[in-house]
Amino acid sequence: MHILVVGGGTGGTILANNLARRLAPEIRKKKVSLTLLSASDRHMYQPGLLYVAFGEMSVDELYRDEASLLSSHIDFHVDPVETFRLDQNEVLTRSGQTYEYDILVIATGSRIVPDQVPGLKEGAETFYTEAAALKLFQRLREFEGGTIAVTVDVPHKCPIAPVELIFLLHDYFKLRKIRDKVHIKYHYPIGRIHTIANVAKWAKPEFDRMNIEYETLFNMKEVDVENKVVRSEEGTETNYDLLIAVPPHRGMAVIEHNQLGVGGWIPTDRYKLTMDGHDNVYVLGDTTNLPVSKTGSAAHFEAEVVAENIAAVVKIGSPVRDYDGKVYCFIEAGHDRATYAMFDYSNPPDLKPASKPMHWFKVAYNQMYWNSVRGLL
Amino acid sequence: MNDAAETPLEPTENDDLARLIEFAQIVTAGRDAMSDHIVARVAKVLTEGLNLLDSVTRNSGLMRLFQVLESEDSQALLIAIADALHQAGRDIGGAEPAAGGLGSILRTARDPNTQETLRALTTFGALVSQSLRTQYASD
Amino acid sequence: MAESMKVDARDTYCPGPLMELITYMKQADVGDTLELLSTDEGSAADVPEWVEKVGHELVRNEQIDGVWHITVRKAK
Repeated sequence: MHILVVGGGTGGTILANNLARRLAPEIRKKKVSLTLLSASDRHMYQPGLLYVAFGEMSVDELYRDEASLLSSHIDFHVDPVETFRLDQNEVLTRSGQTYEYDILVIATGSRIVPDQVPGLKEGAETFYTEAAALKLFQRLREFEGGTIAVTVDVPHKCPIAPVELIFLLHDYFKLRKIRDKVHIKYHYPIGRIHTIANVAKWAKPEFDRMNIEYETLFNMKEVDVENKVVRSEEGTETNYDLLIAVPPHRGMAVIEHNQLGVGGWIPTDRYKLTMDGHDNVYVLGDTTNLPVSKTGSAAHFEAEVVAENIAAVVKIGSPVRDYDGKVYCFIEAGHDRATYAMFDYSNPPDLKPASKPMHWFKVAYNQMYWNSVRGLL
Repeated sequence: MNDAAETPLEPTENDDLARLIEFAQIVTAGRDAMSDHIVARVAKVLTEGLNLLDSVTRNSGLMRLFQVLESEDSQALLIAIADALHQAGRDIGGAEPAAGGLGSILRTARDPNTQETLRALTTFGALVSQSLRTQYASD
Repeated sequence: MAESMKVDARDTYCPGPLMELITYMKQADVGDTLELLSTDEGSAADVPEWVEKVGHELVRNEQIDGVWHITVRKAK
């Protein structure tokens, strides 16, 4: 039986490693083969990008060789898929090879598409790529005063990032002793400062305490790069000296080219995590169309369920568990305190007060992530 | 909170309270001394340690080797090899270079040490082949 | 030809029903209608507020058995 995993990010790596543990005997006896295809030989810890933007982590700490993270039972190739032939149970890769599979897992992730908003690419900084995070770090270091506008587009990965950004900006300029020279204005597309009601309730007094100006129901329309103005669909506008944007996202281009899902979001069953219409194709992580947050945490918990189910299919012929929507996300509330949000399909998030030990847990997790991707945590 | 000693309490309560306060002060001092860097470094070591342990315990060859090495015979052999290497190093380093020629070879063949070595290697070789055949047969 | 589609955001909190609707609205063409399903009672107010502010058309907003069915037409 051939199991093929497409995508070497958080979801794909955890899934492959978890499967390698569960199916070790079958793989050794050559009854099952496990292959992972990735577009990159490196694995990036994406949450680290925000720390890079504030000079708290160095770029080399973000990456590890993907091969070093994978069990020896996994056949790993840096050879991205270009064509999916789901009806024939095979994929075609960039090197021209065809990989047949009995079970396919698509975990290709998502990408930013700033081009979707006129002027955004040229006019805004962001922290969603290595290059952008490094550039933002420079811009922040050189910033001596003025208005920083923070905008948020939909959909985007890591829904909590805009709030964390505000806390970090506030503390950053306080440490530089120029907080009074910096005016921070936060913009959010819906009628409150964050999509999770409990987060908005918690963050609002914090924003007031930190003297953050905010405008809700601000949906991005365009950026006037020359005049440094960002405009909304609602007809309002903000002048800025520095614009930091959370750009809109789409699934990877290969998903769109193969027409597996509009916008690159693959229609997925929210409990079984199988692709609609293809019971032998599992989808996890950012690339699903599920109304679940696009986070490493969701990918992690989804991967555990999918691994358990694929192993069960191999051993006893049927899946055993449903995904319950579980997500667990850290929320950095500044330089030295944090809280977290945990929720699933049945339970809304309920935030505890931010604390220093929780911040240390997050700092420790930045390292423990490398245990996580090996399927240990 | 340092007034504990002056507070009019029963002697035992006073001692316990003083000890609790001391403990709290240590915890606070520890907390203050703790930095992001310390947490990150310790977490990194623990993370790598756990990964290493995971790799080792999942390596069936290594685990079997540990089992074999646990026997006293294995340990005796390892010690013997270590001793021999150590002593041989000194002997070889201190000996004259070989003279060469057929006569020298005949002398070496007649040397009991040569025959000991050949016998050890033959026994060892036969056992390694046997083990390999058994392992590949069961795969 | 105007398409209509369902956005099932029942039992989800993050990013939540309204953000899901916005995602699909951006992918839709002018004239398409989207029916949002939500178990969050906040949606009954949040969604119409957004629809009006941005400039789309609210077609229907009703609650059936604890599920809000809110239909929106993309107007621009």
